[in-house]
Amino acid sequence: MSTVPNVPVQTRLQAISAGRKRKDVAARWTLGLLTGIALVPLVLVIFYLLQKGLKAWSWDFFTTDPTGAFIGNQGGVKSAIVGTVEMVLLASIVAVPIGVGVAVYLVEFGKDSKFAAVVRYFVDVMTGVPSIVFGLFIYTTLVVSGAGGSSFAGWKGGLALALLMLPVVTRSAEVVLQLVPQGLREAALALGAPRWVVTLKVVVRTAIPGLITGSLLAVARAMGETAPLLFTVGALNATSLNLNDQMNSLPLQIFRDVGQANDQLVTRAWGSALTLVVMILILTLVARAVGRRSANS
Amino acid sequence: MTPEEASAMTEASEQPAPDPRVPAERAPRTQTAGAAVPSSVDVHVHAPVEVERAARSVTLEGLHAYYGSTHAVKNVDLAFGANQTTAIIGPSGCGKSTMVRCINRMHEEIPGARAEGKILLDDLDVNGPVDVVAVRRTIGMVFQKPNPFPTMSIRDNVAAGLKLTGVKTKDLNERVERALRGAGLWDEVKDRLGSPGIGLSGGQQQRLCIARTMAVEPDVILMDEPCSALDPIATLKVEELIDEIKKRVTVVIVTHNMQQAARVADQTAFMLSGELVEVGPTEKIFTNPDDERTEQYVTGKFG
Amino acid sequence: MATGTRQQYRDELAALEAQTLGGIDLVVGQLDRVTEALEHQDVELATMVIVDDDRLDGRYLEVNQSILSLLALQAPVASDLRLVAALLHVIKHVERMGDQCVNIAKLIPLSGHEPPVRAEVLARLLRMSACARSEVTQAKRAFAERNTELAEDLVRQDREINRLNREVFRIAIEVGDDADTREWAMHMTMVARAIERIGDNAVDIGEQTVFVATGLFREFSAPSAAGLPQPLQ
Repeated sequence: MSTVPNVPVQTRLQAISAGRKRKDVAARWTLGLLTGIALVPLVLVIFYLLQKGLKAWSWDFFTTDPTGAFIGNQGGVKSAIVGTVEMVLLASIVAVPIGVGVAVYLVEFGKDSKFAAVVRYFVDVMTGVPSIVFGLFIYTTLVVSGAGGSSFAGWKGGLALALLMLPVVTRSAEVVLQLVPQGLREAALALGAPRWVVTLKVVVRTAIPGLITGSLLAVARAMGETAPLLFTVGALNATSLNLNDQMNSLPLQIFRDVGQANDQLVTRAWGSALTLVVMILILTLVARAVGRRSANS
Repeated sequence: MTPEEASAMTEASEQPAPDPRVPAERAPRTQTAGAAVPSSVDVHVHAPVEVERAARSVTLEGLHAYYGSTHAVKNVDLAFGANQTTAIIGPSGCGKSTMVRCINRMHEEIPGARAEGKILLDDLDVNGPVDVVAVRRTIGMVFQKPNPFPTMSIRDNVAAGLKLTGVKTKDLNERVERALRGAGLWDEVKDRLGSPGIGLSGGQQQRLCIARTMAVEPDVILMDEPCSALDPIATLKVEELIDEIKKRVTVVIVTHNMQQAARVADQTAFMLSGELVEVGPTEKIFTNPDDERTEQYVTGKFG
Repeated sequence: MATGTRQQYRDELAALEAQTLGGIDLVVGQLDRVTEALEHQDVELATMVIVDDDRLDGRYLEVNQSILSLLALQAPVASDLRLVAALLHVIKHVERMGDQCVNIAKLIPLSGHEPPVRAEVLARLLRMSACARSEVTQAKRAFAERNTELAEDLVRQDREINRLNREVFRIAIEVGDDADTREWAMHMTMVARAIERIGDNAVDIGEQTVFVATGLFREFSAPSAAGLPQPLQ
């Protein structure tokens, strides 16, 4: 690099040196390679899903219950889909209000207090807890004791899923609430609005799109969890609308079908997997769309 | 000497030639730079204010404000005349914003902050056992950064003060229109009252916030550097607005722009390091201040 | 070299004051020369004084423009504002003092080359001129030092000039033997009056000094303290 100050500007501003060009190219190739490596399993998974799962999809697949037969008419996975929907719905109804409530407390009222710090810490820990632990917890407390008059039940699985969702909803809601500019709270307070009005009608109302996005993402995650359901829900082939009964679910269905020696059952497992992925995909897309609409408005 | 020369001589002097026996007629006049005023409440105003609605006066007595252990406002005694504009000037960190935020008790919203002393609205001490929500409905505030509610339309923004405080009123639309007219914004937005409040320009947003504050019909409006984020034309419009709303409210404006204080305020108070150094008619503060520190600050020797 | 806040502005303000007060020095020079011309009936010197007044007029325009510029660009307030307002008045008084010197200078050749000089009149005129000179230099010092006592003292000196002015007038009435002498005497009363006006302008500068220092504008009421005009003895 020229350091002579008297050299005219045109000479000092030279073209990029060869050495730097080589480094640039090498870096770009390395990053590209790493990205490619990361994409490979993702592409393979999608490929396998589509290749093996689409085969299973049919009208019957979506409208009939599994018969439990090993050969012959094995049936579809209607009960699994219905069961998943029921349990995730219950989990959402429990986890989202409580999770958002905790987040509202942490951001609006607890702020920097010691108690809020402790709560935050525990929520963080819970996000890391393996999902099977939640299943075991519900098993020990609710299933073994036969609470609600049954051992395995759909609602217990729903609760396990709720426990799983709770820290995720809280965390994302907390972030979204913190993003609400402080100026809005001040403006509302200065107008003479009581605290709860400020929190509900201004802060939460402004944050709603973000809260929805966060909750939908938590729901999407809960849909695919298998471990919590293993010990809590039991298994049933028939479609059940009674949450107090044992229940089928997609992850469970996959789990049961995959190990079978019958190819058709394995295909059905792939079909269930593809169904699950598609459902989660739809939820994620809706969450993104809601988030984008709020960002643009 | 010829008559022409005589008249030429007369023109060279500045007065018609008086009889040298007669002393030049001069009645002694006394004129002070900045009319001396006994108390800060009897202020010399820019022009007599046509009072449309008698607002209340605010008086601070022995006000102290703390952030934890930091003593931010030290023993301030200050009176803000009804239907007058008072400007608070001073260097950064002198406590002017803190002091003003004590008046509508926003200061105590900060964790660890407290205010002691009397804040009298006419005769009532609002720093005592008075519902803080009621205080804020009488003493409104406009902030430095315009903050219209993003999820609400222009109409809803202006009505927010009424809706959020649970005021039931049959003529909501009339009140919205009146507030927007009062803020000089009606003509600009009357065709799009339903569009989002954040779609307006910075200056319009600030006037929207002023309309929102006015809609609740407070007695006092506090303004914390309301024009800092605005361009010069928007600033002038807001200043004109302040002159207008003075007819209905008492205005207190914190500003670090001395020219703005000079343009807008009837009375100006200078604060330094948490203390009130001097207060007086604006004209006096800017032509012949009493305190040397005020003199140094307004002439730019520090700050 | 900027050492404090707004150093350039402070320097400009100081330069403006120096420019204005420098005009007073010019006036003193004019006064000295016109007094000498009066004493020795020197018509050429009187002509020089008349021509040199252009310098004072130029100084007035320069200061005026600088003040406008300072007001527009720097928005002075408080004591700075009072100083600028005062300087505007002071330079006007300076310009008028120069005009009075020109008036005196114009009167000198009118009496012809061998005027019938009366010693008692001329002596008083020269004393008036010395008083005026002293007043003008004191006014300049008072303003530069913001010395209000010195400014108020100008009134005392101005009484002396006023007294002498009345004496000149009285003598001029009684001097009339012939037309030439009477004509000369009339011109001399006009000279006396011009010097008296210089003194008044110096007092006005004193008033501006008090204004800058205290913010109070007060007319020094020496002339009207004499009360209504008395009939001459």
